[in-house]
Amino acid sequence: MTVQMIFLAFFGGAAVWFGVVVFRTHSMVRSALALLFSQTAIGAMFLVMQAEFLGVLQIMMMATEMSVMAIFMVMFMMDPGGMGKMDMTHQKRLSLWVGVIGLLAALLLVWLPDWGPVAQSVPGAHEQAADLGRELLGRSMLIFQSAGLTILTAMVAATMVAIVPNAEQRK
Amino acid sequence: MILELMIALSVGTGLFGIGLYGALSQTNLVMIIMGVELILAAALVNLVAFWRYLHPDEPAGQMFVLIVMAVMAVEMAVGFAIAIARFRVRGSVEMEEARELKG
Amino acid sequence: MTMLALIILAPLMAGLAALVLRRAPEAIALVGVGIGFLAATGTLAGAVADDAVQLVLPGLPQMPLRLVAAPLTAVFSAMVATVAAFVVVYAVGYMRSDPERPRFFGILLLFVAAMQTLVLAGDWITVLAAWELIGFSSYLLIGFWHRHDGVPSAATRAFLYTRSADLGLYLGIFVLIGWAGTSEISATLAISGTPALVAGLLLLIGAMGKSAQVPLQDWLQRAMAGPTPVSALLHSATLVAAGAILLIRVTPMLPAGALIAVGLVGGVTAVVAGLIALAERDLKRLLAASTSSQYGLMLLAIGAGVPVAALLHLIAHAAIKSTLFLGAGVFQHDRDSTDMDAVAGAGRARPLVLAAFGIAALALAGIPPLAGFFSKDAILAAALAAPGVVWLAPLALAGTVLTGAYMARALRVLWQGEAQPVLGKGMGWMGAGMAVLTALAAGLGFAFTPLEHLLEAELPPEGTAMILGLLAALSGLVLGWFIQPARLMGPVLPMAQRGFAVAGGMDGLVLRPSLAFAAACEGFERRLLASQLGLVRILSLGTASSAERSDNRLYAATLQVGRMNLRLGDGAENTDTHGIDGLIFGLVARTIAAGRRLRLLQSGLIHRELALTVMGIAVIAAVLLILPMSS
Repeated sequence: MTVQMIFLAFFGGAAVWFGVVVFRTHSMVRSALALLFSQTAIGAMFLVMQAEFLGVLQIMMMATEMSVMAIFMVMFMMDPGGMGKMDMTHQKRLSLWVGVIGLLAALLLVWLPDWGPVAQSVPGAHEQAADLGRELLGRSMLIFQSAGLTILTAMVAATMVAIVPNAEQRK
Repeated sequence: MILELMIALSVGTGLFGIGLYGALSQTNLVMIIMGVELILAAALVNLVAFWRYLHPDEPAGQMFVLIVMAVMAVEMAVGFAIAIARFRVRGSVEMEEARELKG
Repeated sequence: MTMLALIILAPLMAGLAALVLRRAPEAIALVGVGIGFLAATGTLAGAVADDAVQLVLPGLPQMPLRLVAAPLTAVFSAMVATVAAFVVVYAVGYMRSDPERPRFFGILLLFVAAMQTLVLAGDWITVLAAWELIGFSSYLLIGFWHRHDGVPSAATRAFLYTRSADLGLYLGIFVLIGWAGTSEISATLAISGTPALVAGLLLLIGAMGKSAQVPLQDWLQRAMAGPTPVSALLHSATLVAAGAILLIRVTPMLPAGALIAVGLVGGVTAVVAGLIALAERDLKRLLAASTSSQYGLMLLAIGAGVPVAALLHLIAHAAIKSTLFLGAGVFQHDRDSTDMDAVAGAGRARPLVLAAFGIAALALAGIPPLAGFFSKDAILAAALAAPGVVWLAPLALAGTVLTGAYMARALRVLWQGEAQPVLGKGMGWMGAGMAVLTALAAGLGFAFTPLEHLLEAELPPEGTAMILGLLAALSGLVLGWFIQPARLMGPVLPMAQRGFAVAGGMDGLVLRPSLAFAAACEGFERRLLASQLGLVRILSLGTASSAERSDNRLYAATLQVGRMNLRLGDGAENTDTHGIDGLIFGLVARTIAAGRRLRLLQSGLIHRELALTVMGIAVIAAVLLILPMSS
């Protein structure tokens, strides 16, 4: 287990570090890429914790999403390159405090209670996927159906918000 | 074993803190969305850690993770749609100028 | 029955009519007395025919009013009616120029009605009422010329003197009614013994007052202040006759003691009044004193026990004295006074009147064949035949002598003097009245015998009396004509001139005490009234002030209540505006302020909203996590 522990710590640390970079860098693209690397590190952590399906899913999804985000960043940001070095933050102290307090509270919550016996064995990847599939189509069918509807609605809504009828656009 | 759990959880909390700070302190909408992504990622890490070290036999844990991922995707999509709309109206997505809903 | 009523009603109605209508009083008066005269003669004729009429009217319980036309009363009634009728005839002429004729004739007629009621009365209550009425009308008539000096006081004096004597009448009547149990006169005459004596003496007192007997004779002198027809009617024939009439009617009841008293009073009066008459310096006052004297003779006759003699003399005297007065009235008209010095020789200018006067004077003196002769003789005979002849006879003789004396004196005064020219106004009426009465004075004597038969009375034998009477009369006339009264009366003259006033006379004994008593009563009444008023005033003021105080307190209390209410209202308003409203508005204001402050949260800035959201989530999470842990 020590290997797992080391990898876990490594990828965890990488995720955190990249997360910090997201908000400290002035360049927007670098910010997006940092986020990408952070999410990828998290995917790697999944893999380390023997949740292969989830890990792969995470990496694939996040890669795509972050790329899209990078495009959007370039679209919308004033200074995508970050050459201006403008301070783009507000209520820094408040948010700092909130972040610190939230962090400490969460740490407290994590470290104080007794989590009970740790499981030793994990089902194989095959078995996990099969179980997950069975779960999906069995007990959690309703959940995913509603999730699916929600996603559809969201997609439609997003499209509608993003698209403007031609007539208005031309004006 | 328990230490691994602790490490994973600590990582989750760290990400959570950073994401919170970012969501509250950034002026740009896209940056705010990124902060929220980080928070959600922290939640994912915690979920997976709990599944792996406490209840590996339960597929419901993974289910939960899938749902959170879906939510992340949807949230990003809608968020960017709004950002486009906002950009069209205002010409920028700086939240500092978005005072229309002031009471 | 109707005639009996007419005797009274005719003059009564006429009197009221004269007073009310004030027009043609003479005509009304003549009609009244004329009808009365006819009615009286008719009633007398009826009584002669033995047809006694009685009229009963309702009066007090068990004491009805009665009018009786027995022979006695009918004779009296006829006398009154006759004299009244012819005096009224005379008065028409006498009062010709007086502006207040209606009042005169009215009261005179009312007097006639009252007098008729008195003589015709059948019960004592009627007697009392009529007695009072004649006294009152006498007062009114004496004081007829009330604006002249001394007249009102004379009338008051006359009224007071007779009133004081009326007490005796009241008491006597009460005794009679009380003892007999009824008020009918004839029934009460049946009593005897001590009550009869007491009643008799009391009635005598009353009679003395009305008939001006000693010591109550002075009022008649003063009554001469009235008009001559009044003197002729009232104070010679009717009013003063009331006393004698009363005594004549009750003679059957009077015991010996009372009779003696009556006789003595009458006798003394005859002499004393005669002396006064002789000493008088005024013609009418002489005649007044003579009236007293003659009534004294009448009372003497009653006292002698022969009321018929008194009655005869009464009738004769009525005619004689009224004639004398009417004549004096004529002379008064001529000379505007009746003082002896003033009327001296007045007779010369009116021979006819003087002749009438002379006839009446001689008749009074008792010269045959005039009426007075017969009546005087009757009295003398009665006196001589009486049990008390020892003092009654001398008194009667003395009275007769004096009668002749003063009558002769009067005639002499009227004859001897200077004649003055006279006015002939009203002589027709006056002469007519006088003439009839003179004729009666002269010729009434011949009616006496039928009268005696009518009244079923007998006179004592008159032989001695006739001679004595004639002698006395003649001696009296001679004395009076030739000798001056001063020499005749000697030491008695001053007393006689003062009217034999004893102990201040009636003035001092009756008048002044009565007036003083009246003044004292008035003062007492005034003080009583003042004290009552004072009491009433104090009471009412006290009540008023206490009422005012309580009213003030009530007002103050009401004011307080009102103020309290106002304060309550103010308080309520205050509570409402400041308290409740304040509370509510304060609440509202604070809510609005709170809202305004809360509004600041709505910055519209995403990051702020996010921050708040995070904080809210943290709170909820803490609650959700800590609560299960703590429980």
